[in-house]
Amino acid sequence: MSCHSTESKEFVNEKGLKILLMGNPNVGKSVIFSKLTGVHVDSSNYAGTTVDYTVGNIKLGNDEGILIDVPGVYSVEATSEAEKVAVGLLDEGADVIICVLDATHLERNLDLAFMLKEFPIPIIYSLNLIDVAERQGISIDVQKLSEELGGPVIPTIAIKNTGLMDLLLKSIKLAGTKVDPSQVLEENERWDKIKNIVHKVQTHVDKEPSFIEKVENLTIQPWPGIPIALLVILLSLGVVVGGGKALRAVVLLPLVRKVIMPFLTSIISMIIPAGIFRNVLVGEYGVLIIGIEWPFALILPYVLLFYIVFSFLEDSGYLPRIGVLADGILRKIGIQGGNIIPLMLGYGCAVPAIVGTRAANTYKERLMVATLVSFAIPCASQSGAFMALLGDRSIPALIFVYMISIAIMLIVGIVMNKVIPGQSQPMLLEVPNLLLPDKDAFLKKLKIRMKHFLVDAEGPMLIGIVIAAVVAETGILNQFSKMMGPFVETWLGLPKESSLALLLGIIRRELAVLPLLELSLNTLQLIVGAVLALFYLPCLSVFGVLAKEFSLKVAIYIGLITTASAFLFAGIINQLGQIIIRLF
Amino acid sequence: MSLNYANKFSTYIVKELPNSHLLKVLGFRKGTEFKVQSKQPINGPIVVQVGSRSVAIDYGVAKEILVEEVIAN
Repeated sequence: MSCHSTESKEFVNEKGLKILLMGNPNVGKSVIFSKLTGVHVDSSNYAGTTVDYTVGNIKLGNDEGILIDVPGVYSVEATSEAEKVAVGLLDEGADVIICVLDATHLERNLDLAFMLKEFPIPIIYSLNLIDVAERQGISIDVQKLSEELGGPVIPTIAIKNTGLMDLLLKSIKLAGTKVDPSQVLEENERWDKIKNIVHKVQTHVDKEPSFIEKVENLTIQPWPGIPIALLVILLSLGVVVGGGKALRAVVLLPLVRKVIMPFLTSIISMIIPAGIFRNVLVGEYGVLIIGIEWPFALILPYVLLFYIVFSFLEDSGYLPRIGVLADGILRKIGIQGGNIIPLMLGYGCAVPAIVGTRAANTYKERLMVATLVSFAIPCASQSGAFMALLGDRSIPALIFVYMISIAIMLIVGIVMNKVIPGQSQPMLLEVPNLLLPDKDAFLKKLKIRMKHFLVDAEGPMLIGIVIAAVVAETGILNQFSKMMGPFVETWLGLPKESSLALLLGIIRRELAVLPLLELSLNTLQLIVGAVLALFYLPCLSVFGVLAKEFSLKVAIYIGLITTASAFLFAGIINQLGQIIIRLF
Repeated sequence: MSLNYANKFSTYIVKELPNSHLLKVLGFRKGTEFKVQSKQPINGPIVVQVGSRSVAIDYGVAKEILVEEVIAN
């Protein structure tokens, strides 16, 4: 059985085995990971890099340990950030490696397998996606492959939980056994050897393309791929916007207003006598009332639906196809097509989107995408606030605000492409197979994302609302409004009370919108307020992540530019609007 | 001829290619046989099928890859 003597694992894990889960990108590694590990999953940053890896606990009988989901790599030559992490984890040592091989692309996957054999760690192979391989007419002699690789090969269908128990059982058995690293092969030698092995173990019969293969092919053709992509985006929008509105109106608002609020009010009324303090807590604009209604009833439904739709598209392997289709156009504004994924994620939250720019290879591209996301892409929280502000009043105004967002994004992209030196990286991208997302992996990801939202959003939101209550009660707001008043009233044409939105907007993006709900504004004022909020300062968390991922200078720079343009664009729209109103 | 002139749905073999780590690990090497799956508009990437996997290759990179058509018999 397992021996517990490797000195390297001590500082990582005292209680048992350390298993590395490795493989090429898109071979089903994360699905295997989420099926084998328990509920407690942590994502951590690997020191000195920008890449995160996930660690989970495993338990089987008396054996316990950790499973590390190593970032997917094609080789271990440390040429990319992900490969550096992989090499670092390998050098730290482990009891066993589970190397996931994609049965539909054995040749390329064996390349990594042979590189892993150069480390003194026992390897067990998971021959995954064998069902897909069979459908494609590929059959692999597992026994022969195991002989060639010198280690156990377990056929698996991760998504259906087939073979995974066997895989875990055998890897624990294998853990800690002594292996001598195989001799280092030169590139061409390795490829010849692999070709030879594949020739021996694999047979391929041509089959009629299956339905899913036909869809895969169609979604990557300009026609009908581009119309399909637009349709998918429209449909997603429909689900998020329509579903969010329905969820808000039918479930959450009644729940909050008819159940939670009366309940809170009655409890507080019992404890605290009537007066200012009670009003501050549960009055019409009380901290507890707004602190629950705003985030849960107005914002949460959109954030939840956005992440459901986005995670689904992400796990189905569809998003990179949009990246390929959009590459030609995005390249015109100086960024590679693949960056459409962080841009789309930005409509959920700017923080993971900016972190996601790590996948972009050049600094210029990272900076451009991060700026675009902080600049003109409203996050799901802010979109929720826009729906609450404009959705019920004027749908054309809502569409207008989003059109402005896209127009400004294009202009900013073109300008930045000219101003920032450097180049964008050429696209070299593997287009993953389309597949139905695995339920477990999908739910785990959704849970992590919603947890982040609740932690990151609810805290600052409550702080913002408390600040609002305090500044309103103490008269600071009046001072601030008086100071900003002339500017807000003449240039922006908004009532001076709306300076509260400017004050709170520093904390979170939707807080630059929500205070406007309490004012009775006309349509022009609504649009001006929305545009102001759209371009206004990215929220505190975004500022933090910009400073962390780039530098404090970059964060301040982006903050200044966005705020200046917010006042500029909103003012221009107000002035033009006034002229148009006067004309007609 | 270079890959950017390749025809959709035809099969080619790689003759010369720039020394790119990523191309190599994506299974795109000298002698690799592949099919052109799609070509994206406005000088977008060329999607090729190597084995059963699709790989999108930037137009600029495709210009530097020399290929020869494989005539099916």
